[in-house]
Amino acid sequence: MTRITAILALLMLAPATSQAQTGGDQVTIRGFGDAGVTVFSATQSFKAILGKPNGPLFGGGVELGLPRHLFVSVAASRFRRSGHRVFVYQGEIFPLNVPATITVTPLELTAGYRFADSSRLVPYAGGGVGWHKYQETSAHSASADDVNRTFTGYHVLGGLEVPFSRWIGAAGEAQWGSVPNALGKDPNGVSSVYHEHDLGGFTVRVKVVVGR
Amino acid sequence: MSLSKVATALAAALVAVGAAVAAQDAGIPGLRALISDITPPGIDNGVRESDPPREPRPNALDRAIRDPLPFVRGSIIVKFKGGTAAASERAMLARAGASTTMETPTYSDFNIASIDESADPEAVARVLAAQPDVEYAQARYRMHPTFVPNDPLYSMQWNYPEIDMERAWDLNPGATSSVIVAVIDSGIAYRNELARFNAPAWGLRGGPSFPALGQIDVPFAAAPDLGGPDRFVAPRDFIWNGNDPIDLDGHGTHVAGTIGQLTNNGVGTAGMAFNVRLMPVKVIDSLWDDIFRSPNEGTDDVVARGVRYAVDSGARVLNMSIGRTGPPSPVVQEAIAYAVRNGAFVAVAAGNDFEQGNPVEVVAQFAPLIQGMVAVGSVGRDRVRAYYSTTGPYIELVAPGGNQRSGGTAGGILQQTFDLGFVETYTGGPSRYGAPRFDVFQYQFFQGTSMATPHVAGFAALLMQQGIKSPAAIEAAMEQYATDLGPAGRDDQYGYGLINPRAALRGMGLVK
Repeated sequence: MTRITAILALLMLAPATSQAQTGGDQVTIRGFGDAGVTVFSATQSFKAILGKPNGPLFGGGVELGLPRHLFVSVAASRFRRSGHRVFVYQGEIFPLNVPATITVTPLELTAGYRFADSSRLVPYAGGGVGWHKYQETSAHSASADDVNRTFTGYHVLGGLEVPFSRWIGAAGEAQWGSVPNALGKDPNGVSSVYHEHDLGGFTVRVKVVVGR
Repeated sequence: MSLSKVATALAAALVAVGAAVAAQDAGIPGLRALISDITPPGIDNGVRESDPPREPRPNALDRAIRDPLPFVRGSIIVKFKGGTAAASERAMLARAGASTTMETPTYSDFNIASIDESADPEAVARVLAAQPDVEYAQARYRMHPTFVPNDPLYSMQWNYPEIDMERAWDLNPGATSSVIVAVIDSGIAYRNELARFNAPAWGLRGGPSFPALGQIDVPFAAAPDLGGPDRFVAPRDFIWNGNDPIDLDGHGTHVAGTIGQLTNNGVGTAGMAFNVRLMPVKVIDSLWDDIFRSPNEGTDDVVARGVRYAVDSGARVLNMSIGRTGPPSPVVQEAIAYAVRNGAFVAVAAGNDFEQGNPVEVVAQFAPLIQGMVAVGSVGRDRVRAYYSTTGPYIELVAPGGNQRSGGTAGGILQQTFDLGFVETYTGGPSRYGAPRFDVFQYQFFQGTSMATPHVAGFAALLMQQGIKSPAAIEAAMEQYATDLGPAGRDDQYGYGLINPRAALRGMGLVK
């Protein structure tokens, strides 16, 4: 966490190289919604339960434009897919007739920097911390069987924003995150079979930004 | 003394003398004829729970009618290596003192070679086994059920709550008819019929003699709580060489009940996998089969053929609540390996001889060598190993088999089988001896690893329906999720522990 805090501080203290897109030295606020696809680092575990290691992610958030091209955003998103519980024996996966649903809800705090304001394309980069709520439920489960835990992770991201007007823009963004030591602890979890411990992954998303 | 006590005492006497009996008219061929298959339904005599417990049947119980030796005289089992010339086979048979003609029974990859009646089959087999092109040779050892019937609904079936079956049934309500479970046993009371048998005189060696009953018509009925004709598939009788494996003992019927007794039908008791189809494969001869002079006995080769028949006929789970002690049985080991290779899971009773010196159980001992076959020990209501349950390095799992020494009569496993008062007519002595009836049923508490094994067979059927098709993976799931009992980890009393069907049926989530 010390490393994450340092990255955030550096980003917030970074010198301005140009005028902020969102209004120079003014503080602005914008909202955004996004949709994307995430590929989890625990590829084998997600593939075993859900049939594939990736899936759609939907979210939204608020971004605060700061002086000197800096910004801070808070975003929430949600991944939710259903599959089946399994038994794994000598590498072979036997899907069991027990429906299971996995929901991951990250709440992420990002600080970043915009690199240009004269062009119609505004690149940006950032990083931050996240709190990832992980929920796993299955049919006929007792309360002790379900999982509902929150893990802390960190992420870096980069993107390219295209303003359509003074009020509306769109962006394409790529993010890599790590949520270490979230998986692979319980011997009855398939993640322990594959020795996968990270709930993070790689996400690409499209954002629609509203506001000045 | 009540009639039941007299019966119990006489039964115990039978065991005590090692059931050392000689047929008084050996050589009389067995007669069995179907007189009618339209007979009244079975009579349900309710629960029998007032009688005192009886000991599990140890392996030491020898035949009551047949030769008391642990093997059959006059023939041995032999398998030659592939590609051995017929002339070479004949030469090796001759060197061993066996007949040069052999029979290859159906459902076998081995031969039965005739030897002189006076020759020692074990010695001949040893000589033959030493020949270079012989894969194995062995005597035709007799097998028998590993239980004992006792006297006598769901509230009385402590065995299911003990393994959390109610929550397991939430996950998988009794499998479906797509799963076929073979009951390799004494047959099942699966149909109504009237059959004619010849009952010659016989007697206990050193005990009472029983008069000939002549030709008698014996009524059979389907156990009312096992279901209708659609429930049973590919029945086969290797004792009487036919397709009508009616039970003349009660053991197979009781075992079948624990596997698949109709459940949630408002009648009687529950079964583990109550929607499966059952395949009755008769490979064990009862005392009445012996009295009626069945052409075959439950020897190793007969059991091996039954195992092969079951898997070839579509069974995917085989229950073998049978066994024996003594010399190895490669013929049965190969048959079980064949069954597992062809996709069948095999559950085998670990044996009831702990207090008889705890000898190695011949069939169960293969279990560690075959992933997909499990040797099942027994625990009582207190989750402690039953006093009779054999221990050893081959014990892999335990299941409720009952312990009536610590739990009284109701400490056994309750299922429907024959009212033994109508079956064991010989227990009242010669004066009360008469033709048996196999159409009167009771719910009775039995104990033994025979009763533990069908819990595992039923469990396997549920896992197969749940999605685990590989026998080896089924065994792995059972062992991974077993509730560890005794010393931490696998041990010789409890193996990997007490079966935990719910946990195994749930399997793995991503995190938990």
